[in-house]
Amino acid sequence: MRVWRSLSRYLGLYRSFLAHNLKNEMIYRANFSIALGMDIFFMSMNVVFFAILYTNVETIGGWTYDQTLILVGSVGFIREIAYLTFRQGFLELGDYVRTGRFDSMLTAPMAANAHLAFRHVSLTESLGEGLMGLLLVAYGFAHVHDAAWRNIPLYLFMLINSLVIYYAFCLIVNSAVFWLVKSQELNTLVYYFMDTARYPRDIYRGFGKAFFTFVIPSSLVATVPAGILAGRMDGSLIVLALGIAAAALTAGLLIWNWSLHHYSSASS
Amino acid sequence: MPVIEVRELNKTFKTHRKEPGLVGSLKGLFWREPVFNEAVKSVSFSIEEGELVGFLGPNGAGKTTLLKMLSGILYPSSGEARVLGFVPWERDRAYQRQFAIVMGQKNQLWWDLPPSESFALNRDIYQVDPAAFDRTLAEMVSLLDLKHLLDVPVRHLSLGERMKCELVAALLHQPRVLFLDEPTIGLDVISQERIRSFIQEYNRLKRTTVLLTSHYMRDVEELCQRILVINHGRIVYNGPLQELANRYVDHKIIKIRFSCAPAEGMLAGLEETVESDAHHAVLKVKKKEVARRTRWLLDRLPIDDLSVEEVEVDEVIRRIFEERVIQE
Amino acid sequence: MRKYWSIFWVNWQNALQYRGPTLIYLLGNILRVSVLIYLWNSIYQGQGHLATYTLPDLITYYLLQLVINSLVLSYVSWEIVDQIREGAFSNFLIRPINYLHYWFMVNLSTKLFEGALILVVGGILSFVLMDYLSAPTHVMSLVLFVLSLLLGGILAFEFDFAIGLLAFWLVQANAFKYMLQYMIFFFAGALLPLDLFPKAFQTVAQALPFRYLVFFPIQIFLEKEPDPERGLAVALIWGIVLYLFLQYVLRRGIRQYEAVGQ
Repeated sequence: MRVWRSLSRYLGLYRSFLAHNLKNEMIYRANFSIALGMDIFFMSMNVVFFAILYTNVETIGGWTYDQTLILVGSVGFIREIAYLTFRQGFLELGDYVRTGRFDSMLTAPMAANAHLAFRHVSLTESLGEGLMGLLLVAYGFAHVHDAAWRNIPLYLFMLINSLVIYYAFCLIVNSAVFWLVKSQELNTLVYYFMDTARYPRDIYRGFGKAFFTFVIPSSLVATVPAGILAGRMDGSLIVLALGIAAAALTAGLLIWNWSLHHYSSASS
Repeated sequence: MPVIEVRELNKTFKTHRKEPGLVGSLKGLFWREPVFNEAVKSVSFSIEEGELVGFLGPNGAGKTTLLKMLSGILYPSSGEARVLGFVPWERDRAYQRQFAIVMGQKNQLWWDLPPSESFALNRDIYQVDPAAFDRTLAEMVSLLDLKHLLDVPVRHLSLGERMKCELVAALLHQPRVLFLDEPTIGLDVISQERIRSFIQEYNRLKRTTVLLTSHYMRDVEELCQRILVINHGRIVYNGPLQELANRYVDHKIIKIRFSCAPAEGMLAGLEETVESDAHHAVLKVKKKEVARRTRWLLDRLPIDDLSVEEVEVDEVIRRIFEERVIQE
Repeated sequence: MRKYWSIFWVNWQNALQYRGPTLIYLLGNILRVSVLIYLWNSIYQGQGHLATYTLPDLITYYLLQLVINSLVLSYVSWEIVDQIREGAFSNFLIRPINYLHYWFMVNLSTKLFEGALILVVGGILSFVLMDYLSAPTHVMSLVLFVLSLLLGGILAFEFDFAIGLLAFWLVQANAFKYMLQYMIFFFAGALLPLDLFPKAFQTVAQALPFRYLVFFPIQIFLEKEPDPERGLAVALIWGIVLYLFLQYVLRRGIRQYEAVGQ
């Protein structure tokens, strides 16, 4: 019962913060078109990369070009939802800690990680990627064999699961901000996470497969949901992804709280 | 039942020293010499509800560290503290809803939006009843004369106006305890005055317990009934402001205005003379000697006006920081 | 001259202060390259192949690209843009120091530092992947390779510095910078070997000087470059021309900066 009340309170808070952030973003309309242009540029380069590869080969890890488009599109879509929920906050964490403004997140009556996430939820930061991602997914979905509309709800559900994994990864990596002074490299690491998610999981073998499943689960994040739409659904992978999400989130919250503890003991 | 109780609170920070030069940097890759900084040492005090207490101390004395511990931002190295019955660093939500902290020059308001937006967001975060919120906001706005500022984006406000809004944002949930860390720092004289009078008025009206830190004498002089002086992490004085002078200063100031120029050398010989010219003179006289010296001066010199004053509190504080206590 | 060497050492000391971030930087790069190696491996297992490259060729290509990214490619433009936009550039105007030379030394220092680190990583990876790599057969190839790296480093710095100078004229320099930098890396062969591109792209890539950053040196190493000496000469000419051009643009930029009254 208490969990439910807590959840609804945070949903309400999210709504408030989202409204404020949207108002904030409306002020910077000029930035928006630039960000949109950049997003489209980089997503296109992504597609160009694979297009060039596919002029040389038929399949990559067994995935055809259309299937890969669903994969790449899903990554873009996930990144936009991430920016709508938590991503930008982590990017600001380094600054907050250095200027001492993070302290106000420790004194407010809400969880610090939620406060950090909600403070910077953004619709426009990655909107271009999200829209293009959707387009790519739609295009790929229209062209693959074994495409089935009834798979879409499961696709969306696993997308949310992937967000949980991504969030947990961000949480763990960004906890290091409380230990290090420079945080720029951490953001690069998180960027690499989604960057490597663009490739089908089937390219990995042996040690690499284990590493990119259990240590840095980027191979699951896009492959599992995309596989559902691309006619490559794998039940065992779905179960694995769910398990990893639960484990990662638990670990992430533990490490985050431990790092906060360190911050409160060591910082001046 | 005191609202704030602190017992033997300690905070020691560990940093490291870097050896100079490239060799030092390479060595630093593997091992660095730790340096311990005792920011707060065995601090104990208690504060009752409704008090307006000031913490005075030079930069680096430990004031901010202390405030951070009382607001739950930092864990102490050892010792105990209770605010409103809670242990601050446990960060109980119930505690967080009952206090507020404002740190000078650290903006909490959203930069590009008007303050009214930040206020509304705080209402949601602190779960303030909307009707109560409207009432409180209206009260603050009239107290601080902010009506015309509510819809101006924060980045267009002056420093003084921003500080006022920060205070409002902090008080909208009617906290029982208010921590203020250097609230007037960087402000112009008029803004400082307005902030001070507001704090005083608010404390009087609401009986909110206020803990204020500053290194400006005027903040403390005007506002605080009781002050605690901190130096090098220790509390060196805890009591009313007036008694501060008595404890640390053994003399008073005598100021003289002459009716006509005094005879040459009359004052030069006196070791108590601080300054003198044809029209005025200032002397520092030991408290025990004041009556006698006054009679002496009135007898010998063409005096138009004579006054006996307390030493400036600034001077008192400087003496404290130099740790000169008079043995009476 | 002495002042430039002290800039060099101070930059190293600065970098050495950050043990954690440096480690993360190395790890991130290793990850990125590992994924690509798995990609190529998977393609070749599936009986695919790309142009004239064998699997060892490709793995060597990306390993070298990893090294070149740290040793050669320059990222100083970010700080330059900040300095110009936030007014710190004024400090340089009043000091007897040439902005281009100053950044060259800082860049050189950073590149050698990061390069040293990445060579350690590259060495370890090479050892692990020993059977999967292509090595040059003539010593001359190695010599020319090193020379091409040197020239590549100078050119990379010059391109990046040029991008940085945009800040004198563009308010929103950063977005544009991102894309410009990416295009340069794209046509340098940092993402994919240039001879995998469709014909149209390849013609463009041949004409642009960016190939001397990544593709050209690696081709020398893989002994696939038919005329390395000529390429080096062209690169050298580009380097000199760019240097003169940059000094000119810098002067114009300073005038613009002072006119705006930072």
